[in-house]
Amino acid sequence: MTKVLVPTVCPYCGAGCGFFISVEKERATGIEYMPDHPVSEGALCSKGNAALEVLCHQERFTSPLKRKGEGWARISWEEAIDLVAKGLGDAIKKNGPGSIAFLASSKCSNEENYLIEKLARLLGSPHVDNCARLCHAPSVVGLNRTLGAAGMTNPIPDIASSKCVFIIGSNLAENHPVISRWIHRAKDEGAVVIAADPRVTHTSWMADVFLQLKPGTDVALLNGMAHVIIKEGLVDRDYIAQRTRGFEELKESVGDYTPEKVAEITGVPAGDIVRAARAYAISPASSILYSMGITQHTTGTDNVQAVSDLALICGHLGKPGTGVMPLRGQNNVQGACDMGALAEFYPGYKKADDSETIRYFSSAWRTEGLPLGPGLTATQMIDAAGTGDIKGMYVVGEDPANSDPCSHNVHSALDNLDFLVVQDIFMTATAQLADVVLPGAVWAEKEGSYTNTERRVQWSCRAIDPPGAALSDLEIVCKVARSLGLDFYYPDAASVLAEINRTVPQYAGITRERLERDGLVWPCPTVDHPGTPILHSSGFKLAEGRACIVHVPYRPAAEVASWDYPFILTTGRVAVHHNAGSMTRRSPSLISREPDLYVEINTADAARLKVADGDEVTITTPRGETEAYARLTDKVKRGVVFMPFHFPGTNILTTDITDPEARIPEFKVAACKISRRD
Amino acid sequence: MPVYIDISRCIGCRSCEVACQRVHGGSGHVNVHFVGDSASVPILCHHCEEASCTMACFSGALYKDGDKTVFDVEKCTGCGLCRLACPFGVVWTDKIAHKCDLCEGLAEVPTCVTTCPANALSTDFDLASRRARARAARVAAQGGRR
Ligand code: SF4
Ligand code: SF4
Ligand code: SF4
Repeated sequence: MTKVLVPTVCPYCGAGCGFFISVEKERATGIEYMPDHPVSEGALCSKGNAALEVLCHQERFTSPLKRKGEGWARISWEEAIDLVAKGLGDAIKKNGPGSIAFLASSKCSNEENYLIEKLARLLGSPHVDNCARLCHAPSVVGLNRTLGAAGMTNPIPDIASSKCVFIIGSNLAENHPVISRWIHRAKDEGAVVIAADPRVTHTSWMADVFLQLKPGTDVALLNGMAHVIIKEGLVDRDYIAQRTRGFEELKESVGDYTPEKVAEITGVPAGDIVRAARAYAISPASSILYSMGITQHTTGTDNVQAVSDLALICGHLGKPGTGVMPLRGQNNVQGACDMGALAEFYPGYKKADDSETIRYFSSAWRTEGLPLGPGLTATQMIDAAGTGDIKGMYVVGEDPANSDPCSHNVHSALDNLDFLVVQDIFMTATAQLADVVLPGAVWAEKEGSYTNTERRVQWSCRAIDPPGAALSDLEIVCKVARSLGLDFYYPDAASVLAEINRTVPQYAGITRERLERDGLVWPCPTVDHPGTPILHSSGFKLAEGRACIVHVPYRPAAEVASWDYPFILTTGRVAVHHNAGSMTRRSPSLISREPDLYVEINTADAARLKVADGDEVTITTPRGETEAYARLTDKVKRGVVFMPFHFPGTNILTTDITDPEARIPEFKVAACKISRRD
Repeated sequence: MPVYIDISRCIGCRSCEVACQRVHGGSGHVNVHFVGDSASVPILCHHCEEASCTMACFSGALYKDGDKTVFDVEKCTGCGLCRLACPFGVVWTDKIAHKCDLCEGLAEVPTCVTTCPANALSTDFDLASRRARARAARVAAQGGRR
């Protein structure tokens, strides 16, 4: 039997690195690198290198399960699908379609997400969302308002041509490691790198200027930089005059954000604020990279708008080396949003509250009675489950019981549902609460297209079969839909992509035939269109083609340190784990490198608490308490502590107070107290 | 031709470790160490010109082959003298010795070099200095960094 090399796309982060899986006798035997991949050039981070470890993992689901007493019974697909049809069907019959909700998956392919949101809406429920709500919902809201499009404006390799790279609220060295190579390349060509983060990180190691701000003070910092840029006349006057609106209001509103005042709020020395502002404004091409450190705040939308203001007043958009780059966390969170698995958008970002959208999809899907949105967001669905307004939920490849804030409440809310079906690959905390579990497939066991953080749509091929009776998520969704009386006859992912080509204008030219190797970057409106790596090069898709500069005042985070809770807890990721950790915590070569939940405490704080390195401590917030071991470090400033959120303990602590517009919870700031356990 | 490290580029992602382990049946030959709050240094075999491990190895299992320090598993007795001799702690003995083989027979370029997301590893001795010289030249020509 010969070895076959199957091209696939990494299932972890949004960088979208490609690699081959070598397959012998229908078994995945190894990884081969892909040196001509446009983003990764053959590189993979530790997660990519360990990706095959979840394939034949002994804990994978191999058959549908139903709850039986305290345990589980293996059941046939027929029985499972009947139970799901009955569970969801009964809820619809009794309480109307608005009583069921769907969580689509930013791990699944575009085709699968498209079908999940289509299923929800054809059943009459507007409630479909995905975990983008917990990462980049503020980018969707904020960037759509300021720039008229929510994606990364420039491709990853383009960072190499930047002359100033400003990284704020992103520890990309650990979360999107391959992006580092492009930053190093920019540095080789003379770029200045600025990093703003509450922690010293491997990303700040790459920086020339490091701004260690207090958690939640990003708007103040960005306003301060805008203040300096405007005051020193470093703005791009022509660009502002021709391409934007709202500059005068911004000028007015940042007037009193002097470096000295901002230094007081943020803890960043005034001189560094001025240096960073000058470097960003003066360079011929500057880019801003940001991530959860900007979005996961009650001021998430404000933060995003303040980021794009900076780019707009300096004219750093629409050209190589410039741009506003929200780095997406999951392999297909961009695609899940593009496909309309969002409460406020149908596919292609057609507004769910617009009757024109309903008309468009009624005719495209040959149906009537599509629900007008917006539906409940992922965070609101959980609340609604708790109050009993949502009776049934279908959760695909997400683990809200672990990844949502204030997880004790999430558990009891999900427990309150009449019917919960979870489709996943492992027994996650959410699956534990399900009535029925459907065994899905991982990337290598199915085919489909995935859209990485730079809007590059890539096709990932099927290398092996799913284990046991597990099926591709596309097949499962079709089975469920048919059992509920819908006409879901899609033989393969390509046939769904063909429908997406017809219904999603940005993807119209991204056909299966064209998706070889390098993929295509949307918008790609026709089959002979080369794709659009750089957005906004000829104006914005907003009124008069002008971008909106939206001035935002600084608001403090929802929680501040107090006598009872004297520390600010901020959360994030580490290089060898991914998100809720259901895959990486089961991957031997990753979990062995970071096996336990820890909390980083500043050495001076630890001395006062009489905590030594490695001590077990209890971290408490009003929501609950968690145990972790202490890591003493000067990476965090005094008064700030950090915990990775890959372990179930962390989100017991975080707050569920959300951004008023984007509804993202403030994962990055929670007041807490710490005590040594003994 | 060992693997050279550009510490200024290393981001401590440990991909080299995981990749090395992956292609060598579970026993890796790279260790990433963390120094202070943000520096990270992958430590791997230097293929020393005068390799103490080969001098210590009485059975001839470790020997110099051109500029590589290579290992003949057939001859290894597992005595562990090499482990004591190596000043960098990059030859291990569990039953028999194992150390960096530069992925001979496994890949054209050592796996860690290809996989390193930050381009911190290379087999080109002069690369880091060339990059530094190019940066310096650019700064001089442009009259300072912007
Ligand atoms: S950088 Fe992201 S896409 Fe690339 S290998 Fe790592 S997790 Fe996978
Ligand atoms: S194992 Fe140690 S002594 Fe031997 S060549 Fe490598 S670095 Fe030198
Ligand atoms: S793979 Fe590269 S960047 Fe990552 S730890 Fe190893 S040498 Fe450092």
